[in-house]
Amino acid sequence: MSSPSEFIVVEVDMAACAGLARCGGCVRVCPVSIFQKSGDKPAVVEKNLDECILCERCLQSCGPEAITIRKLYEA
Amino acid sequence: MRLLEHESKRILEKYRIALPVGRLVGQGEPLTIDGPVMLKAQIPIGGRGKAGGILAATQAEEARQKVSHLLKSNIRGYIPKAVYMEEKKAVKQEFFMGITYDTVAKAPVAIFSAEGGVDIEELAQRKPALVRKEHFTVHSRLPLHRAREIVAEAGVSGKLLLGLSVALATIAEVFLDYDATVVEVNPLALMDDGRLVALDCHLEIDDDAVPRHADIAAMEKDTGRVEGERRMSDFERLAFNIDNLDHRGVAGRVIEFDGNLGLIIGGGGASLTAFDAIRAHGGRPANYCEVGGNPSVLKVKELTRLILSKPGVDKIAVIMNVVSNTRVDMMARGIVKGILESGKNPAQTVAVFRVPGAWEEEGHKILSKYGVPIQDRTVSIDEAARIAVTNTH
Repeated sequence: MSSPSEFIVVEVDMAACAGLARCGGCVRVCPVSIFQKSGDKPAVVEKNLDECILCERCLQSCGPEAITIRKLYEA
Repeated sequence: MRLLEHESKRILEKYRIALPVGRLVGQGEPLTIDGPVMLKAQIPIGGRGKAGGILAATQAEEARQKVSHLLKSNIRGYIPKAVYMEEKKAVKQEFFMGITYDTVAKAPVAIFSAEGGVDIEELAQRKPALVRKEHFTVHSRLPLHRAREIVAEAGVSGKLLLGLSVALATIAEVFLDYDATVVEVNPLALMDDGRLVALDCHLEIDDDAVPRHADIAAMEKDTGRVEGERRMSDFERLAFNIDNLDHRGVAGRVIEFDGNLGLIIGGGGASLTAFDAIRAHGGRPANYCEVGGNPSVLKVKELTRLILSKPGVDKIAVIMNVVSNTRVDMMARGIVKGILESGKNPAQTVAVFRVPGAWEEEGHKILSKYGVPIQDRTVSIDEAARIAVTNTH
């Protein structure tokens, strides 16, 4: 799943994601609410993407490493 | 937020501090009085007496005329919306008591003097021995026994000591309960009948704590309670609303000017420095503002859009001191996005970007992508202002 933004793209590989029942770390740890619950999977809240502070707590909390963050301003 | 005298007194009343009998009166209202009264313009400034905002009257007609006069007066830029009329009784002695926050000691401080009704700063300079100060903590508050020590050390004894100590401990409770920055009762008067009565009260609440107090928040929302010479412009009101979009940081406190250079400035006194520097270099600011405390990208973006929406404003100068509690990259995101959403080109719109500090490198990457030149901390605020003015002409 991809989330368009001027600066930041957050992608969640849904095939790799363990789901909220087993994990849900991204929803729990993000301090700026980039993730929300959508059934048993996380969904990226596009309107909050600009506020991503690049703390990478979502990456650290994600066991299956299903999340990637891309900075659109880097070559 | 500074409360008006009658608003402050309603709070003292809740804490059972005795007050003169009084009420608010308006223009043309028929008045009946039982004796001499004091008529006090309800405006948020100190030194109202010296400024002509407090008058005495002994007859009803005289009181009516003086109320009418006060409501038409411009007192240091304020036009009173109401006059507070209080009974005037004989006073035997006046005391000063106040609680404020000592920013050097980082603790609340209780101040007491047996000489009330005077300018306490002036008295503290002239006769420092007459002004007793004592710090306390938010955790331990100001218990009655400590209040009693403070008052006793000022030379008060007997029954008066007990009454004044209770009053001092009580206003400390008001200070802490209401997240105040200042509570000052000056004077607290010993009346001929032996009562201790708060003749005046100055109460200021920490702006950031206002939402915690429903009664104060309701006062703040009442736009008709204070009328100054200068009213908030629509532009300033929109900026105020932007600052209230979320709790993160400050991107507001905007004052509108009629120039052509939009300013997004901040960092303690740096916003004033930057504003003055812009003017000193011949620039014409479209606004003053204060940005700091790591505002959200949303707030910076909306503020940028608002400033660029002013007719004739095509350039903005972004100048801050070296920031440690504001992220440069988040500022850069807000600025760039605000410009893009305004349908403008960041490279042609940013007259200068001088925000050194936390996450500076990341911020520079964002700005570089959009062709915005960056000034680092080796460029002074004054020089940044000069660059902005040069790029605006």
